[in-house]
Amino acid sequence: MTDSALPEIENAVVPPSNTVNVNLQVRLKGEGEKLLLILPTETETATATSWSDLWQQLKQRLNGGDRFWQPSTTVHLIATDRLLDAQQLQAIADALSEVQLQLTRVFTSRRQTAVAAATAGYSVEQTSVTKINQTLNATPVPLAEPLYLQMTVRSGMEIRHAGSVIVLGDLNPGGTVVANGDILVWGRLRGVAHAGAAGNSKCLIMALQMEPTQLRIAEFVARAPTNVPSQFYPEVAYVMSEGIRIAKAADFSKSQFSLPS
Amino acid sequence: MKRIIVTTSGKGGVGKTTVTANLGMALARLGRKIVLVDADFGLRNLDLLLGLENRIVYTAMEVVSGECRLEQALVRDKRESGLVLLPAAQNRNKEAITAEQMKQLVDSLTQMYDYVVIDCPAGIEMGFKNAIAGAKEALIVTTPEIAAVRDADRVIGLLEAQGIKNIHLIVNRLRPAMVQVNDMMSVQDVQEILSIPLIGVVPEDERVIVSTNRGEPLVLSETASLAGTAFDHIARRLEGEKVEFLDLEPTQDNFFARLRKLLFSII
Repeated sequence: MTDSALPEIENAVVPPSNTVNVNLQVRLKGEGEKLLLILPTETETATATSWSDLWQQLKQRLNGGDRFWQPSTTVHLIATDRLLDAQQLQAIADALSEVQLQLTRVFTSRRQTAVAAATAGYSVEQTSVTKINQTLNATPVPLAEPLYLQMTVRSGMEIRHAGSVIVLGDLNPGGTVVANGDILVWGRLRGVAHAGAAGNSKCLIMALQMEPTQLRIAEFVARAPTNVPSQFYPEVAYVMSEGIRIAKAADFSKSQFSLPS
Repeated sequence: MKRIIVTTSGKGGVGKTTVTANLGMALARLGRKIVLVDADFGLRNLDLLLGLENRIVYTAMEVVSGECRLEQALVRDKRESGLVLLPAAQNRNKEAITAEQMKQLVDSLTQMYDYVVIDCPAGIEMGFKNAIAGAKEALIVTTPEIAAVRDADRVIGLLEAQGIKNIHLIVNRLRPAMVQVNDMMSVQDVQEILSIPLIGVVPEDERVIVSTNRGEPLVLSETASLAGTAFDHIARRLEGEKVEFLDLEPTQDNFFARLRKLLFSII
């Protein structure tokens, strides 16, 4: 690798701790013609995610990707075992319709939620949680489809995704992106990025301007050098035997694609 | 068009209340009818900065509980007739009022005034949620310090999640001399992180402290001050006027300074 010009970064290895449990966050998933809006289950989240947290996540997710789906796409809400009252259902439907998505169907294992949804005029399917999970994980894919976000990931936000994450915007200090796949920040990366969170150390972190608080790939952790470089290039962070290294994007792709003869 | 603006920052002590008081006064001087709402229940300050403490009879709390009419709680400013204050209760805490009640309060105020400016408490808890409940726009106040900027960033995220997208930035207490020698974040540094449009830069000014203690917002002062002018300009920008940003470069116009500037601009 030709990254000798780049300052050393401090490496450390942490015991593999947090594999991404994507069930902790609100998910939006395309399935054929429709979108699935999947809420984290109450039983799976150790510290119960409150409605206001859930609501914030949903709004942030919708704000970040509002031009990536067709207008008037139908949405099925997978509410799992979450208790939703009529007002909350209405709030979700309103938030969706703001970005021209249309809530039509609700899947739930809770009777009250089913009643509230039916009263509001949505078609309801009441099933057990395990069955919902089965249908969701029916075809175990190695990585979820990439998550494309056009937003600034601000302080306090945490994006978790079971695939690669692409942020068109900045990842600000105090913000976190955790992905099972690669992380590409088309902007300044100043927060914490954790690629290959499920343990894949082949994953990469790419940014136009790499000034991270911390980079993590699989079980490796690295801090950025304390002296700020005067000039920035698009850079790629990857794992070598000695830990995380950073290379200029231009050099990195050369070394990747032109195999030594 | 009626404007409902919340001044907020996340971090405490960056000058939310000072900005609110001065902006209120400046807007009133531009002939606008404006009500300032102190949403800092339990730790109210806005009345002190405006010098209106001794005129408070009822507070927002009594309005909400139905003990008085809204008009009775409004305190009219003695200097600018366009400006009124809706004081917060001092003897209650932030849970004393709900977001829904706050929203109703703000809604009924928009019937009577051009501007409703809400002074938000520090933090992101209940008091913050109440303060932003009825707002349509936000002014983020920050000082050029990493802690303040970090908190401001978080708050912007929360505002956006609440659907408040019209957000402007005020960088307060800037010391141009320190920025020049790289001891302080520049306005540009702050903007780079927060990535929201700038509406004003207020330089550090001792006279702000004096005016605060006297209960006379700086914009009322006879003698012009940079900070007072900056507040005045923010008010005019809110009104839609295009006002040039103040030149806050420290004035050391000797030969070498100019030469250095020239050299830097070449490099």
